[in-house]
Amino acid sequence: MNAKANKNQGSCIEPSYYQAVTKAIRTQAVQILKEGTVAGLVGYLPGRRKGTARPALITTPEEAEKLIFSPACVNNLSVYLTKSKKGVLKQGRIGIVAKGCDMRALAGLMGESQIKREDLFIIAVDCAGVYGSGAERSETVTEANIARKCLECSVHHPEGADFVAGSATDLSGLTPLEAEEMARIEALPQAERWAFWKEHFSRCIRCMACRQVCPFCYCEQCLCDKNRPQAVESSPRPAGNTAWHIVRAMHLAGRCGGCAECERVCPMDIPLNLLNRRMAKELKELYDYEAGLAPAEKGPLTQYREDDDQSFIK
Amino acid sequence: MHAEAKQHDFEPKIVAFVCTWCTYAGADLAGTSRMQYPANVRVLKFPCTGRIDPVFILRAFQKGADGVLVSGCHPGDCHYMAGNFHARRRFAAFRALLDFVGVDLHRLQFSWVSAAEGGKWVEVVTELTERVRAMGPMLEFKSLEHEEQWSAFQALADVPGVVNTPELKEAYDKI
Repeated sequence: MNAKANKNQGSCIEPSYYQAVTKAIRTQAVQILKEGTVAGLVGYLPGRRKGTARPALITTPEEAEKLIFSPACVNNLSVYLTKSKKGVLKQGRIGIVAKGCDMRALAGLMGESQIKREDLFIIAVDCAGVYGSGAERSETVTEANIARKCLECSVHHPEGADFVAGSATDLSGLTPLEAEEMARIEALPQAERWAFWKEHFSRCIRCMACRQVCPFCYCEQCLCDKNRPQAVESSPRPAGNTAWHIVRAMHLAGRCGGCAECERVCPMDIPLNLLNRRMAKELKELYDYEAGLAPAEKGPLTQYREDDDQSFIK
Repeated sequence: MHAEAKQHDFEPKIVAFVCTWCTYAGADLAGTSRMQYPANVRVLKFPCTGRIDPVFILRAFQKGADGVLVSGCHPGDCHYMAGNFHARRRFAAFRALLDFVGVDLHRLQFSWVSAAEGGKWVEVVTELTERVRAMGPMLEFKSLEHEEQWSAFQALADVPGVVNTPELKEAYDKI
């Protein structure tokens, strides 16, 4: 990739950068649709309101001319490729516009044999960050309104894609809010940690948006929906909520790529990504595993070493 | 042979998830060898520690366990070759998660007890029971269950004319 561009004290990204990325995506999308490389493409179209974007399945070059990439392109589109969505296309290779964090989800899904690399044409975006929750959509992205996950993104420069739109954007020097928050909670006494999560979990309304939006929650029947025997209570009451969020974090441990979609869609603003990040950190420390950097056949919890740490076992 | 029967203010409930091949046989050995160990432990038999889902542990705590023990074969002795290796990683991760959420890990014990280690079973169970007894009842998860049953009612009870009948009030106060 080219030399580093657009470093405005690591705080503000020029809108022109997004226009350049948009142009690159359009050109590439039109080309692969015309050539018939892909039967369709999942990308972003402008939303109805100004400054918004929505995910869309594109099948013609004309539609592809309308594709955009802007800071409002927050969605992780890989969720549309999973089994739980029954596949957006019945046949043919499919293109997808993916940010660095979405690429991690794609790599994870490939590792879990949910999608095949040869069925995909990945248009990766060298992403300069997207809006956080509540950001005014007419403003440019700054450190104040960027998504929290972008503050400590380590995958600005996606690797292993078929095409990369845009060129390296340096985002270093941002305050890692999530890491700070995690360190703060870890340092709390145990009872206060419990109080912190109890307060958050008890607000949960069990809308299951976090599950719906997660690329890794593709089970056809969720354990938490089962009764007879019921593992996790399904109504939105504190005990069941706590169990649901613990089970969710556990099932994503070693798989979550950190796209933070769960946290973005949560209507009750529960800091779900903190749990995911905590598990990722733990597995990195214990087993030196980081999810989604490359498709891996086995995750940290589906393999073992005979000399794994067992200091906690008597 | 018999230990002095002691009266305690608090008898903890300990739930033990054990593997049938090693720890269950080990506990059986302790029994047939007439070893004494606290009767606080409720043993649940599973085919393998690999079968023990973290959900079971959560559920045990929610339904009133004060301590949970998970025990199986020593590494390398698994009847299914690798079940306990997988369980070891899973529980290492689960412990970290519970700790982050604010559960006291002293209430959760993992151990390897083979079919020949009746003595170790007694030791593990006794130690966990005494530790949990000293810690007192596990209130975190139980209080959640309690809240969900009564928080709505409690909120309404303050609203005049809603459910403030004397009978309901009396019933509520009894609880």
